[in-house]
Amino acid sequence: MFDTITEKKFLLTELVKQNLTSKYKDSVLGILWSFFNPLLTMLVFTAIFSMLFGHNIKNYPVYYLAGRLAFDFYNHGTKGAMNSIRKNANILKKIYVPKRMFTVSAVCYEFVNFLISFAILFGVMIITRAPFHPTLLFSIIPIVLLVVLVFGVGLILSVCNTYFTDIGYLYNVFTLVLLYASAMFYPIEIVPSQVQFIFTLNPVYCAMSCFRQCVYGAIPDITMILYLGTFAFTALGIGLLLFNIYEKKLALEL
Amino acid sequence: MGIMERIRKFIGGFSSDAYNKQIDDNVAVKVEHVSMEFKITKDRIDTLKEYVIRTLKRNKKEKEKIRVLNDISFNVYKGDKLGILGFNGAGKSTLLKILAGIYEPTYGKITINGKVAPLLELSAGFDKNYTGRNNIYLNGAFLSMEKKFLEEKFDEIVEFSELGDFINYPVKNYSSGMRAKLGFSIATMIEPDILIVDEILSVGDIKFRKKSSEKINELMAEGVTVLLVSHSINQIRKICDKCIWIDNGQIIMEGPSNEVCDAYVENAKGSTSKK
Repeated sequence: MFDTITEKKFLLTELVKQNLTSKYKDSVLGILWSFFNPLLTMLVFTAIFSMLFGHNIKNYPVYYLAGRLAFDFYNHGTKGAMNSIRKNANILKKIYVPKRMFTVSAVCYEFVNFLISFAILFGVMIITRAPFHPTLLFSIIPIVLLVVLVFGVGLILSVCNTYFTDIGYLYNVFTLVLLYASAMFYPIEIVPSQVQFIFTLNPVYCAMSCFRQCVYGAIPDITMILYLGTFAFTALGIGLLLFNIYEKKLALEL
Repeated sequence: MGIMERIRKFIGGFSSDAYNKQIDDNVAVKVEHVSMEFKITKDRIDTLKEYVIRTLKRNKKEKEKIRVLNDISFNVYKGDKLGILGFNGAGKSTLLKILAGIYEPTYGKITINGKVAPLLELSAGFDKNYTGRNNIYLNGAFLSMEKKFLEEKFDEIVEFSELGDFINYPVKNYSSGMRAKLGFSIATMIEPDILIVDEILSVGDIKFRKKSSEKINELMAEGVTVLLVSHSINQIRKICDKCIWIDNGQIIMEGPSNEVCDAYVENAKGSTSKK
């Protein structure tokens, strides 16, 4: 069972497809909500905060969206991975499927969503006449590192959440803190400079900030990239280790 | 183990020692001293709060465990048809689940040599909101089939399941019989080396039952190793050449199927007449 890569790849695509179709299954607009959701919140945030921070931030809608997309991917990706084992308990208890397939597919699905929502960012950039800098190509670096980070954290959380249900509730609170600690909708400059250092310890802020730098025409900060990279690969290492140890025991905990 | 190796193992997938293939070529399934324990739910620590409290109280030990299987060992040779007998709760289904890879045994080791097809829960992988058509692909993927294979077999599956136009309707609108028929049709589209069957030889209505048992017999053709759990003694006598009888998680008797069946029936009669 699942000895070849093609079998696994096929299962993975089927699982991602299932996620995509089930999310908006009863809504009229369906997948279009993947566009509308960030777009509408962008409008709200722009209406409220561009007055507050407008003079600090060049092109607030783009600033907000670039941050929002990166944060959403982290947020939904890790949460999706976290719940992936529990959500599929009745399958895992009845047929043999490598459990990692569900965790991996959850992250892949959120990554697809992330890529789809790029269309909004580009759309808004065109509408607001923001220039497309060639440095946009560099954004692939923070994005790849963010994917690694999400995989790592997701794997760790999926194991923990299977053993302890309340990890899920705890993590919801944690991501709320993370949201405010990532300078998603406000400029980092409003934070006292002593505290700014703490922000740079937050890998999600690093990813978001590097991504923004690319969008705004700058080369991403190399120290941030290195820090993010170290953090992400450490998380992935721990996640894989944990998953390899506990994968086979998970079915008994469901 | 280095991280790179971990990653390679992770990507490369299931290659644990439990499934290594360096065994005697004639053995299809080798079960060595397998024991299985389940924690009892009421005593389980599954919230963080409880974990912390119990750690502080030094009462973390989860004492109550049920031993469902106790030191089971047997070999199944290639082409053997093995029947597994036992009263309810004896541990038969747990044994099959371990053989199918769903559970990892608490102690002991299982070695499997060949391609396994577990016919355990036939419609577990269905998505109710999917049409029958999409579910064929989804469920096929869960059963480790390839896309190309499913595309080739698609018409055959639809025809066998007798669903006709219903294949384009969501599975939530199916009757349970239709669901079972579709599940059966997908799961049996395989050419396995080892077939693991748990009481599913009769699915659907009278027409389909005949067809499905023919299909199963076809799958159990010469050379295929079969592990069958059933409460129908007649079926076991007909299909299996060897039998094991499990009670309370232990093998009570092992041998040619007729002998074990006779002893089993005798025992069952004895325990009912006592009452």
